[in-house]
Amino acid sequence: MDPDELEFLGEKVYVSIIPTFNNDGIHLISGDLGPFRASLPVNVPLWVAVSLKRQKKCKIQPPDWMDMQKLEYIKEQEKQSSGFTKMPSDHYMVEAKLLLECAPDDIPRADEVRTIIKDIWDIRMSKIRSSVTKLVKNSDFYAAVDNLTVMEINSVRPILPHALDHLFRMKNTEKTRPTQSSNVSSFLLSKRASTSFHLSPVTSSNTED
Amino acid sequence: MSLRVSYSPNYYSLDDILATQERVPCKVALTIQKMGHLNPSVAERDLQPGTSLELPLWLVSELSQSRAPLVNPELPKIYREAYREILKADACAVDLHKFSLFFYELGSHIKRFDKKQDVHETLLHTFRTRFRQLMDLADNSMSDPTVQQTLDILERKLFNDAYKARMKLNTWLKDSNTTIEAANMVINHKKRKRMNIEDLL
Repeated sequence: MDPDELEFLGEKVYVSIIPTFNNDGIHLISGDLGPFRASLPVNVPLWVAVSLKRQKKCKIQPPDWMDMQKLEYIKEQEKQSSGFTKMPSDHYMVEAKLLLECAPDDIPRADEVRTIIKDIWDIRMSKIRSSVTKLVKNSDFYAAVDNLTVMEINSVRPILPHALDHLFRMKNTEKTRPTQSSNVSSFLLSKRASTSFHLSPVTSSNTED
Repeated sequence: MSLRVSYSPNYYSLDDILATQERVPCKVALTIQKMGHLNPSVAERDLQPGTSLELPLWLVSELSQSRAPLVNPELPKIYREAYREILKADACAVDLHKFSLFFYELGSHIKRFDKKQDVHETLLHTFRTRFRQLMDLADNSMSDPTVQQTLDILERKLFNDAYKARMKLNTWLKDSNTTIEAANMVINHKKRKRMNIEDLL
């Protein structure tokens, strides 16, 4: 998947905005938005918030977690634990990126927030890298990926699933010569199996790039 | 291209076809009549038992599998003890491209001829050891064409996919004003449909 597609998915997260205009509401297939009353907070999807902000029709109230104290706490936790800690939002990178880009004036200490989120991202990415190499090198059977966000999982694709597929393929191809049977018919049968191509050993999941 | 169609066992896999073209040394076990021209050093009509030949893998695997094998396959030199030792010592330092273009693909076929299964172990070990290096290359190389030169075809494919994905992520992290494009699958799908209709008419 492209990061842009993940951004699209992440844009469905609701954020609170304070509009500077009056409107009775917008009716969309995915649901109604509004009604908007000037200076009364209202919840809208991120993409609406960004678009209104670009037209200077609202102030965005940053999500609770986009706050230096909370982020510093998360960063410390992330540094100390060997696994991944739970992130406040499944699309924290998308939210942070969009909000910091279009509404830095609405977020207190925006530059510091930007830096610390980048720090958290870097810590988590380096953890992913080391655990992926460990997984492949030590031929472990599973990897714990709880609390990973979509964007982070996407960063090891397609190389990890493809590499694992290849390992699986190499392990599964017949190791020794097929046992030589005494009658011809079973020989023919074994031949047919070795050339048929719907015996694909590739796991069904994670094959798309 | 998804893995499902690009590697063996898939009848249409081009990589598999190319990999099985590689020559494998083998010894003739029975007299093969009228095939003397395969051995250019002797002007005999029939191929004598004990002659050493190099035949393509697809032929060898067919000839050697029957109940009375016509030829006895041997391991190509890159899968023999000496080369296995090199790979065991440090697989990352090896120029796999020089070993063989299809090191892994060929190896997966060749290991049937190896009764001790050392080749099998070597393949897995090599892939695992080199994976870290491959990932680092994909993440950090900035359009430097020389980095691919030590990779074999399979690694090169992995590298290219990973590199593309990494570039996309990097551009996304840096700037956002990119528009979403239709997925390749969707575009190809349309094309194929149109072609089919033309074919029918």
